Amino acid sequence: MRILRLTWAVAVNSFSESVRHRFFTLFSVFAFTAIYASVLAGVMAVDQEARVLTDFGLALMELTALAFAIFNAASVLPKEAETKTIYLVFSRPVPRGVYLAGKLAGSLLTSALMLAVMGAMHLLLLKVRGFGVPPCYGWALAGSMLKLCVITSFAFFVSLFSTSAVSTMVISGVVWTAGHFASETRFLADQSAGVKSAGLKAAMWLIPNLQLFNARDLSGAACSIAPPAFLSAAAWVGGSYLAALWLISKKEF
Amino acid sequence: MSTNAVSFTGVEKTYRRPGLLRAAYNTAVKDLSFEIRAGEVTGLLGLNGAGKTTIMKLLTGLLFPTAGRVRVFGHAPSEGAAKGKVGFLPELPYFPPQVKPGEALSYYGRLSGLSGAGLALAVREAIERTGLEPHAGKRVSEFSKGMLQRLGLAQALLHRPELLVLDEPVSGLDPLAIHDIRGLLAGLNAEGRTVFLSSHSISEVEKLADRVLIMVKGRLAATVDRARWEAAPGGLEAIFVEAVR
Amino acid sequence: MARSALPLAALLAWAVGAAVSNSCYRSPFPPPSEIRTPVAGAAGDMFSLAFGLRRLFADVWFIRLMQYYGTPEFCEHEEEEPSAHAHHHCGINGEGKYPQFLARSRHVVEIDPGFRMAALYGAGSLAFNMGRPAEARELLVYALKYSPREWKYLNVLAAIGYSKAEDPAAVAALIAPILKDPDCPVMLKQQAAFLNKKIGNYSAAAAIYADIAATSRDLAYVRNAERELEKLLRKPPARPGRG
Repeated sequence: MRILRLTWAVAVNSFSESVRHRFFTLFSVFAFTAIYASVLAGVMAVDQEARVLTDFGLALMELTALAFAIFNAASVLPKEAETKTIYLVFSRPVPRGVYLAGKLAGSLLTSALMLAVMGAMHLLLLKVRGFGVPPCYGWALAGSMLKLCVITSFAFFVSLFSTSAVSTMVISGVVWTAGHFASETRFLADQSAGVKSAGLKAAMWLIPNLQLFNARDLSGAACSIAPPAFLSAAAWVGGSYLAALWLISKKEF
Repeated sequence: MSTNAVSFTGVEKTYRRPGLLRAAYNTAVKDLSFEIRAGEVTGLLGLNGAGKTTIMKLLTGLLFPTAGRVRVFGHAPSEGAAKGKVGFLPELPYFPPQVKPGEALSYYGRLSGLSGAGLALAVREAIERTGLEPHAGKRVSEFSKGMLQRLGLAQALLHRPELLVLDEPVSGLDPLAIHDIRGLLAGLNAEGRTVFLSSHSISEVEKLADRVLIMVKGRLAATVDRARWEAAPGGLEAIFVEAVR
Repeated sequence: MARSALPLAALLAWAVGAAVSNSCYRSPFPPPSEIRTPVAGAAGDMFSLAFGLRRLFADVWFIRLMQYYGTPEFCEHEEEEPSAHAHHHCGINGEGKYPQFLARSRHVVEIDPGFRMAALYGAGSLAFNMGRPAEARELLVYALKYSPREWKYLNVLAAIGYSKAEDPAAVAALIAPILKDPDCPVMLKQQAAFLNKKIGNYSAAAAIYADIAATSRDLAYVRNAERELEKLLRKPPARPGRG
């Protein structure tokens, strides 16, 4: 109970700091502008306007939330160490694992809020253009959130050993793109042999398959996210968290 | 129950800085042994790089000793039992500029295990004791250095710690703020709290401390009691200068 | 928790995530070897795969396809008489050569095989506007590979067969069920209306034109539907028959 209370306290603090941070406002403005710009593309698609508006909106929302999530995850721990805020936390009876979990939860809560706000803006935009809620919209957002959970926790882990926030962002960005190549990697692994095949198969174990959560790119009845995907997401988040905990428990400030 | 609030036994701390080809090592403190008795005010003096901040961080579990043993009320500094009894004021504490003192203190109070009415009371008391009441409605961004230092002290007092570890508590403050903080620390000590403070200001340490540890290049050069420096011609300053030369 | 146990636990958790993913994930998309980029667009395709934005980039390719198809072609006689300034545009009503049309429409389906409307639009245009039923069939056969139970593809395939046999009534009958589907391209609706008009089934044709006028956002189709509706209203009622 005490652990949960502490985790919640860190999470709420992290969340409110992120929301107050000007980057959040900037990204919200950006998202709104970007979604509005997609209306122009929708007009070009004439009878496919609803589809184009939906696809543009969902993609931009995910990329905006991704940019914020990676930036936030890459900078939050180094910034707390740099400003010595972490001294005030770790000189108290706060286990390092609790602090890490709270910071991660705060970051994910921020991403969830960001997606929710942008989603509401997007749906409003669709309504203004005369369209209803697109099919699978909820699953698409859930999938984006799962992807953000995986990449945010990974960025937290990387931020604990990388030399700068920029390198954390670059590494996380590479994993994000490689994670979307999972099906192509599998195909190439099956087509090749020897060292190449072994290397590709190793990549399939090392890089999280983000296509698993990409409900946004699916349509019809097949767009729902299967329960094993949630298990995979939980395992990857847990793996990153444990690896980050290992690093932070050894870290001196 | 230990009568020593703090004990260092043969403590060494070597920093390792990874390099391209080989790591660089720097020993900040070496073969360090001392005790701080519960209820006393102990000062830590030394030139820049003497190892004062390293000792403070070893004491609060922010650093781990390379060798030797550190104990706080009989526990390792990283244990919750030790941390619950320590209030730490780092040098130049940072608070998010957009928050008000009450919000910042509530957060740190929660981290110290306080909640509900107990938390509200602790925040109010800490604000009153540090003289922040007139500034309670301001944001941290509007605070002067002295007010920030008071806020830093307030967060260290929230959970009524038995040991206060203060790194340069009066550094850069105006005379009135120094006077107020000195009075506050004296009051806390009168309540039975142990105070361990580092400072560059010999006169401040002289006014507050019962005992002073003088560090020279990572080693404990001298331990001086109040009776000794009061009896010495030139006081604590003369003893310090002699020790560091 | 022992510190040494943490990296092992992390690796174990990561392996569980990968094992579950590897066992349950089957890609619904064509493998990279099937993606043929028809014009300079490899970077876009790479971006679509790298960021999981297949639908968005399929939309972009579809818009490009419509722009390509909407750009009038010059007739062959212009090339024969280069000095002549009287340019004559072909393809205003969808006729024309558009040699890249199959490759471009197939590419949309390669990127997003779930984009059924694009496949129907491409196949319908190839078969009914440009008179290239073999290419239309090729496109639909490819689309069916990733949506094997898509009845609309099967119906259009059959309609193409009847079209070749010059049986407009059968073509219209096969297209009819698709018209109510939200995936039905307006071009196919117009084709159905035209076929119904051709066989004398004016009420069905009028209903389809009215639907186009009410639901389409493409002004060219809407205006055409309104014109046709006006003409149909002036016609005396006729019994449907094979034309």
